[in-house]
Amino acid sequence: MAKYYDIDDILAEDELVPAIFKVAANEVGLIDSSDDTNKVESGSKVELPFWLASELHLRQAVSVGFPRCFNKRTQEEIKADAAHVDLRNRCPYFYELGCKIVLLTGDKSIGPVLLVAFMTRYKEVLIKAHTTSLTVAPKSLTLLTNEETKLYEAARSSTAAMKKWRMGGPRLQKASVLGRKRKPVQ
Amino acid sequence: MAGQSDPGGSTFTAAELEFLAEDETVEIVPNMRMDTLDFICGQYGPLRPQITAQVPLWLAVALKKRGNARDDIPDVYLVRSLIEDIKDVRFHKIGTGMEKLTGRASAIVLKHISAMEVNIVRPFTARALETFYKLDSPEMLPDSERGAVKHSQVADHGQRRPLRPNR
Repeated sequence: MAKYYDIDDILAEDELVPAIFKVAANEVGLIDSSDDTNKVESGSKVELPFWLASELHLRQAVSVGFPRCFNKRTQEEIKADAAHVDLRNRCPYFYELGCKIVLLTGDKSIGPVLLVAFMTRYKEVLIKAHTTSLTVAPKSLTLLTNEETKLYEAARSSTAAMKKWRMGGPRLQKASVLGRKRKPVQ
Repeated sequence: MAGQSDPGGSTFTAAELEFLAEDETVEIVPNMRMDTLDFICGQYGPLRPQITAQVPLWLAVALKKRGNARDDIPDVYLVRSLIEDIKDVRFHKIGTGMEKLTGRASAIVLKHISAMEVNIVRPFTARALETFYKLDSPEMLPDSERGAVKHSQVADHGQRRPLRPNR
């Protein structure tokens, strides 16, 4: 509950994870829309958002698996060259969701993959964030997950702030409400 | 002490650091006579013409603006370019040092690093360490893999402590 108000935490829990119903359930045909009986048979495979799947998992109603972004192929790609895997396309909350599923199911098989992926990609972000010019965003930015983008932005904004200060930017900053009548100076 | 610009956070703006830096003492050569100055931060002076004195930078700047003192910097342009060179070298060194950051490091020790340098790398490093901490926790890794993924760690960085919630 420590991150109750963290919007990223909330969004990460909205990602879909595969789940298999262990019990049959009535009146929830919406979840499994393959037939019109308005019920879910035991053993049927469905995709649920993580927040729902985890609650059902804790009540022994479903068993949660790993979503597609942690499949064998992605793991192989990460082992081959983690820095150039398009994780944002697969799951923008790759690390957060991975951690949550591991903690929920106790299946630690993807733990090392997450760590290796972050270790490799962290270096890439570090180099890019501190070296590339401030105006042009590098292409590889589109591959980064949410957490990595935040890292990149953190590094870039502090570097940019230092540069601006060194160039001797305006010492006195005008409040945005002042001088609205004039044309904005670009 | 935290910066005023970022409530709750721990970063300063460059301007705030500049303000703090003005408390450093410098040597000036006054050209007028003034008795000891009693400030909350300490006593400075007395100032005697042509005798060097140690005063904080902000006082030195104020005196120089009024033409009451001069500094002993022989070539301002040279100093500027030297500082620029030192800055580049040091930032490069910090960058290469940070590349070595891996899991297992729940804290890093940065020795002999200036306030501005810490301030630049702080947001990035703190975030990265937090993620490393999360991914490298015993709940995340199978026992057989613990320690296998680390590359060149010299020593264990002490016991794992629970993180203080700060975000």
